Amino acid sequence: MDLQSVASPTGFVIGALCGLVPLIIGIRRRTFGPGLLGFLACLFSGFACNVLGGLPMIVLAVAVVISYTYTDRDDPFLSRATIEEVDFEETFGAMITRRLATLGRSIRVGLRALVRNKAGFLGFLGLAFFFMLTIFGPMVIPYDGEPHYYDRRQEGAITLFQGPSAEFPLGLDWQGRDILSHIVHGGRALIVTAVEAGVLTSVIAVILGAIAALVGGLPDRLMNAVANFILTIPQFPLLVVLAGLISFKDRFFLALLLAVLDWPTLMRAVRAQVLSLRERDYVEAAYALDLGLPHIVLREVLPQMISYIVISTIFSIRGAMYAIVGLVFLGMVPFTEPDWGVMIFMGRSQGALFSASAASMLLSPVLAVALFQLSLVLFTRSLEEVFNPRLRAGL
Amino acid sequence: MGDTLSQAPLIELQHVNRSFAQGRTRVNALQNINLAVEESEILCLVGESGCGKTTTGRIMVGLLNQSEGNVLYRGRPVEGLQGKERAEYRKAMQIIHQDPFASLNPAHTVGQILSFPLSHHKMVEGRGAVRRRIWELLTLVDLTPPGDIVNKYPHQLSGGQRQRVSVARALTVNPRLIVADEAVSMVDVSIRVSLLKTLHRLRDEYGIAIVFITHDLALAKYFAWGGRIAVMYLGRVVEVGPTPDIIAHPAHPYTRALISAIPEADPEITRSKQRMQLRSEDIPSLLEVPPGCAFHPRCPFFVDGVCNTDLPVLEPAPEGRQTVACTPLTRGMGLRAHGS
Repeated sequence: MDLQSVASPTGFVIGALCGLVPLIIGIRRRTFGPGLLGFLACLFSGFACNVLGGLPMIVLAVAVVISYTYTDRDDPFLSRATIEEVDFEETFGAMITRRLATLGRSIRVGLRALVRNKAGFLGFLGLAFFFMLTIFGPMVIPYDGEPHYYDRRQEGAITLFQGPSAEFPLGLDWQGRDILSHIVHGGRALIVTAVEAGVLTSVIAVILGAIAALVGGLPDRLMNAVANFILTIPQFPLLVVLAGLISFKDRFFLALLLAVLDWPTLMRAVRAQVLSLRERDYVEAAYALDLGLPHIVLREVLPQMISYIVISTIFSIRGAMYAIVGLVFLGMVPFTEPDWGVMIFMGRSQGALFSASAASMLLSPVLAVALFQLSLVLFTRSLEEVFNPRLRAGL
Repeated sequence: MGDTLSQAPLIELQHVNRSFAQGRTRVNALQNINLAVEESEILCLVGESGCGKTTTGRIMVGLLNQSEGNVLYRGRPVEGLQGKERAEYRKAMQIIHQDPFASLNPAHTVGQILSFPLSHHKMVEGRGAVRRRIWELLTLVDLTPPGDIVNKYPHQLSGGQRQRVSVARALTVNPRLIVADEAVSMVDVSIRVSLLKTLHRLRDEYGIAIVFITHDLALAKYFAWGGRIAVMYLGRVVEVGPTPDIIAHPAHPYTRALISAIPEADPEITRSKQRMQLRSEDIPSLLEVPPGCAFHPRCPFFVDGVCNTDLPVLEPAPEGRQTVACTPLTRGMGLRAHGS
C-alpha cells in the first residue's frame, strides 16, 4: 500500500469543484466567511488527496457552514412550544440539516479544543507542516537522485559534501545531491509504514482485548499467555535477527511484523478497561434494556475508550518509526532511496561525522525524524481535550 | 390454564438461594427467599448493607441468576423463556441504579440515551414518533421544557435530573416492574420527595409495580404506605407484610430495633424515645452466619436452646397481618428482654 494520491492538477480541479458545495450553501445562508473557509478547506483537501480528500471534506465543511446559521427554531424539538403545537414529523432534508448542524457544532468545539492546548496545537502545526512537506513539497522541489560527481565539485574540496548555500539550503550529500530534495521526498514511505504499523497494532489490540474481556475463560487465558510471551521478547534485537533471515523489501510486511510484536501492551490495557467498563451501571442498564451485544460494545463501551485508543495508536506510530529508522540505520532493511533513515545510514558510513561541511547530511534527517516524533507526542495533548465529552459543554 | 397464569404474580421468587464464590469458599448472599410482586404493587426491601436487598432486585430483573430455586415471570420459569417471551420479560423488568453519576453513559446526550431503546425495540414507528415519545417521556418525569434537556450530556445535569433521566430511560420499553435500587439515597434531600412522587405517579397512572430497595425504614414507610415491606437480614427475609402493620406492630426484634432507630424531627421525642438495646452492635460476617436465627447474637430477646438451634420460618405474626421468622414469637412463647 502506498499513498498514491499526491498533489496533482487534477486534484486541484476536484478540490475546487468540491469547494463549490459549501461555498454555494454559505452564500445561500448568508454566511460568507465560513462558506469561503469551507471552499478553501475542500480545495486544499482535494488538492492533497484527490477524491478521497475532497468528498469527506464536503460533508465536514457543509456541516460547519450550516452550524453557523442553524438556530433552535429550525429544530422542532427545541422550539418553545407545547406538545400539541410541535410537529415531530420532519422531512428527510430537515433531519439531514439538523444532524449536520450538530456535527458542525461538534467540529467547531473540537477545533476550539485543539487550539486551546498550546503544546497540543504546536504539535498539530508540526504535523501539518510535515503533511504539507510530503504532499506539496514534491511539486515545488523535484527529486535530485542522480550523483553529481563533476558538475557540483567545488575547487579544492576533498569530498562532494557541502554546507548550506543559497542554491542548496541544506547543502549537498556525499554524491553532491541536494539534501533538501531528499528530506522532502524521503519522509513519505517512512511515515506511511509507521502509520500502518501503528494502526495495525491498535486494530489487533482492540479486537483481541475486547474478545478477551467479554468472552473470558480459555480464549482470555490463551491471549494473555501469548501477550506475556511476546512482552518478554526484546523486540528490537528480534527484529534485527529476523531482518538477517528474511528480507523486509515489502514495507507493509515490515509494518505487519512491527504490529505483531507491539500489540500486547495495548491489548492488556484494552482488556483491563473493557473489564472495568462492562461493570458500569450504564452497561448494566443496557443489558436490562436488552439492547444487544453490538450496541453495548460499539455504543456504550467503545466511546469511553476511543481517546485512549487513538492516543495509544499515536504512541505505536512513534515506536514503529524509531524501530524502522533503527533497522535502516543498522543496514538491515533493503535501501530504497529517498528515505530519512537511509540518509542517516549513508551519512554515517560516508564519513559525514568527521567533516563540518557535511553536518547537514546527518543533522537534517535526524531533525526531521525527531521533530515529526515530537509533533506526534505533543499532538496527543490536544486529542485528550478533543475527545473529552466534558469539554463539549457550552454547546 | 390461561386463567391461572393471568392470576399469577408478575414476578415470583421461590426458595431462591444465591451464593458467590469468594476465594475457595462460597458466600451465601441469599437463602430461601420467597417473595412475589403483583401487578402495580409497591414492595419495599429494607435492611442494612450486605443483607441481600440489591441481589434480590437484580435477580428479579434478570441481571443475575439464582443459584437455586425458581424465578417465575407471570407464573412461568424465567430460564425456560425463549425468544419473544424472553425479550418481553427483559423489557418488563427495569432497574434504576443508586448512583446517578454512574448510570448514564457520559458519551451520549439525553436524547440519544432515550432513543437507543426506542428505536432498537421499535417501541414506536418512525423517526418523528421516536422524537415525540422522547418529549412525552421527559415531560412525564418532570424534565420540562424537554428542549432544555434533550441535547445535554449527563455531566451537564444535576443528580436529581440524571435520576429522572434514568427513570425515563427505564420507561422507554413500557416496563411492568421497576426495581429502584436505593434510587434516591444519593440525591439531595430536597429533591427526594418530588422524585418519590414521580415514581408514585408511574404506579398510579401506568400500573407499574415498584420494588423499592432502601436501608431507610422511614423512607420505606413514606413510600410504601399502600404497599408491603419485606425486612431482610443476612440474606433472609425476617418479616414481610403490609406497611401499616409492620410500622404499627413490628414483630421481629430486628424490625423493632430498626423502627426504634428512626430519628424523629422533634428533638423532644428523640430524647425521650426508647432506643432498643442490642446485645451486640456488630453485624456478623456472611461467611459465618450464626446457626439458628441469624439475629440471635444481637437479639435482646434471645432464648437459649431455641434461637441458636432452630431455624425460624416465616409464619403469621401474633399481631398484625404480616408474617415473621422468629421462633419464640410464632410458637407463642412471647419475647422477654434480658437485663443487659
